Amino acid sequence: MNTIFNINRLGLLLKRFFLENRQRELTFWGLATLVFLLMHLSGSKNNASTEVILIFISGLIFAAKMFKIFNYTPGGMHYLLIPATHLEKLITAILLSTVYFIAMIVITHVIGTTLGTTFGNLYWGTNNPIFFELIQSPASHTVYLKSEMSLLNSIILFTAFQSVFMLGSIYFRRNAVGKTILAIIVVLMLLIYISALLKNTIFGINTIGSNSHFINLVSSENPFKVEEIIFTIIKYAFIPFLWIVSYFRLTEKQV
Amino acid sequence: MVDVRNVTFSYTRKTELLSNLSLKLEAGHIHGLLGKNGEGKSTLLKLISGLDFPKAGSIETLGFNPVKRHPEMLREIFFLPEELPQFTLSIKNYEKLYAPFYPHFSSEQFNNYLKEFEIENKNSMLNKLSHGQKKKVFVAFGLATNTKLLLMDEPTNGLDIPSKGQFRRMVASGLEDDRCLIISTHQVRDLDSLIDNITVMEGHEIVFNESIEDITKKLLFKVFDKNDKDESVIHSEETLRGYYQVRENITGEESKLDIELLFNAIIKDKNRIKLLFTA
Repeated sequence: MNTIFNINRLGLLLKRFFLENRQRELTFWGLATLVFLLMHLSGSKNNASTEVILIFISGLIFAAKMFKIFNYTPGGMHYLLIPATHLEKLITAILLSTVYFIAMIVITHVIGTTLGTTFGNLYWGTNNPIFFELIQSPASHTVYLKSEMSLLNSIILFTAFQSVFMLGSIYFRRNAVGKTILAIIVVLMLLIYISALLKNTIFGINTIGSNSHFINLVSSENPFKVEEIIFTIIKYAFIPFLWIVSYFRLTEKQV
Repeated sequence: MVDVRNVTFSYTRKTELLSNLSLKLEAGHIHGLLGKNGEGKSTLLKLISGLDFPKAGSIETLGFNPVKRHPEMLREIFFLPEELPQFTLSIKNYEKLYAPFYPHFSSEQFNNYLKEFEIENKNSMLNKLSHGQKKKVFVAFGLATNTKLLLMDEPTNGLDIPSKGQFRRMVASGLEDDRCLIISTHQVRDLDSLIDNITVMEGHEIVFNESIEDITKKLLFKVFDKNDKDESVIHSEETLRGYYQVRENITGEESKLDIELLFNAIIKDKNRIKLLFTA
């Protein structure tokens, strides 16, 4: 018997999610399709920001519900006693909150946009082309930190958000969304304070969050931007780090 | 099968719920775990199954450390909690979904148990069933998993009188030599003629753990006309028929165990009973 990871058990856990949440999922994705449809009825091409905000909010709520079962002790007991490893249970949650959620968003976006634009054209007598803003022009997303953000970066950012809220749903028994947001604010404030303290101690700079300070490691012609290095490390290590923390938190979970 | 060694557990730092508790439970028996409310019976079941972790001491369940919640161990454990989880699933879908996790699950047995409990429609939604009906479904499922360890926490709560009898029959028929059933309850009469080993928790520790055979060998349960102050009398209760007493069985007379009377006797004078069984 495979004691670490078994694909059959993973399949059963996924099946469990879809069977137990069939009604909720159908309602949620039906509503998502309807929202996309309504947004494209007028043929407007300036919906991307609103769409992204809606996706982020719905995504984080979706992720925060991954371990909602721990809200209710008998449910948590039943879940922990399912004969599968913690790794399989966590991978199921990761797959659902990232791959499945993103795939369903794309599908509902495509269906909603196609239907919305087609109905709009028929109703208004216009001839607007079907344009999948979310996929075809992610650079236009003004809510992103950087306007030139690629689709990959968008997915990484989204997955990071999902992972934070998934971890929050394991950590907090009740009101996981609110408590996770509070935790994020506290951690960010702490990081800003530490960063300011370090800058002040090391470089004698008394500013917070400045982007204009460089560390010249090799020569004056080859400057390294500290923020960029840190950002790259965080970009690729942050999500796995969150997953590892979630794994250990799940193994330590008691109900 | 289950070996609990010097386990201490508490939910808060101030009060210990279980203190230095040790217990060994063997296969082939139906163990009755008795105790008043709040003595830690449910907690002990949770510790055995790995839902809670001991603060001190160790537990071995089916040869595993339950804290690890190893799938090989979990597929041989079924825990029926007092309060049942909510499912928006039909009985049929519940079986379809969870039976594959248990390698020895028998669909035939499950159907027979449901039939005995008079639950005919497997398309019934679990969330639409009454508490008693739902309990019957989970009892039937638990028995049909054929796991080596079956833990039941207050299984008769919510069952009507005929169902309690059906429950006893089904549990008795589900026992095999390699199987261990632990039933925790404070409704001691419900386990009458079902369990073959009695474990009593009192003051957050195990004060009694004996087989029915040994109990009836060493103790006599009988109604007497007078409330004798004989030295052999351990506990006496006045009833309409006379004085129902637990006495030391000096003569070797056979009597029918009354779990409630025994329980009250243990609570009243645990030291005397302990001494009697260790002698």
